[in-house]
Amino acid sequence: MASSSSSTLSLCSSFTSKCRIFHHQNTFFPCKTLSLSKANFGSLSKTPTLASTRPSFLPILKSSESQAPVLEVEADQTQSQRDPEPEPASAAVVDVAKEEPKREEVFAVVMIGSRQYIVIPGRYIYVQRLKGANVNDKIALNKVLLVGTKASTYIGKPIVTNAVVHAVVEEQGLNPKVVVFKYKKKKNYRRNIGHRQPNTRIRITGITGYQEYPAVTLDS
Amino acid sequence: MTRIRRGYIARRRRTKIRLFASSFRGAHSRLTRTIIQQKIRALVSAHRDRDRQKRNFRRLWVTRINAVIRESMVSYSYSRLINNLYKRQLLLNRKILAQIAILNRNCLYMISNDILK
Repeated sequence: MASSSSSTLSLCSSFTSKCRIFHHQNTFFPCKTLSLSKANFGSLSKTPTLASTRPSFLPILKSSESQAPVLEVEADQTQSQRDPEPEPASAAVVDVAKEEPKREEVFAVVMIGSRQYIVIPGRYIYVQRLKGANVNDKIALNKVLLVGTKASTYIGKPIVTNAVVHAVVEEQGLNPKVVVFKYKKKKNYRRNIGHRQPNTRIRITGITGYQEYPAVTLDS
Repeated sequence: MTRIRRGYIARRRRTKIRLFASSFRGAHSRLTRTIIQQKIRALVSAHRDRDRQKRNFRRLWVTRINAVIRESMVSYSYSRLINNLYKRQLLLNRKILAQIAILNRNCLYMISNDILK
């Protein structure tokens, strides 16, 4: 159930967070896909392709140096001397592929706008509109209730002291429209009102500051 | 006064309503007067159920947390977990606990062991 992909903070207009979080896949890391998005409940949304968050290519010189000894062992020496051009290109691609898993596998539960969200670095969530936040503003979220890594969790009582979740404001938009239709039968009363709740999309860049806090592991 | 026909005024209005009910079953997506009634019922249900949705999800989360907690150790229940949660001043809500219970069950066991001590 939960494993099915769902919505994240994000998800049809009014049904956001709940449905979104609902459809997380069984493996917490690396990818959660969220289909529905609810405005009221912030949730994680489907992230765009990793290309948007991927670091830039290394300079070609560096990559070719690291790849050169490997290629010489595999291929003939004559071939590697003859074709210098394809090597940097393939080496660059291989290096970028290796850089992806550098993202640390840690999640946090953060409280924004009196709603709680499960947050992992590199993904975005929709939250209530943050007043006074412009696009590309760096944001530090202090109300971190739980930080979890592969082996241990840091349980906040009530918050994990000195833990900060860094995020960047991406977009200030509106939720999909919700039609608030009021109707009383046999009394000639109907009101048709549309509503779009303002929201903010923030992208989580990192989770820091939790290492000093006492950790809890399964053995204790 | 010269004679004026109504033209396409009514048809335009009804097309929009018809589009809304285009996925309804049987006569509810074909007959104009039925379409108008069904659109009203659909919107009223949506409005009412948006409030019910909050209640429904909370019930679901409670059930899920209860299920996971009961199978972790002998004679431990959702009610005791919530009591301990409040006593230890944790702020995690049921939505997050239910998600952790599904995705990262060890984490929930760690939490429950920690607050039981």
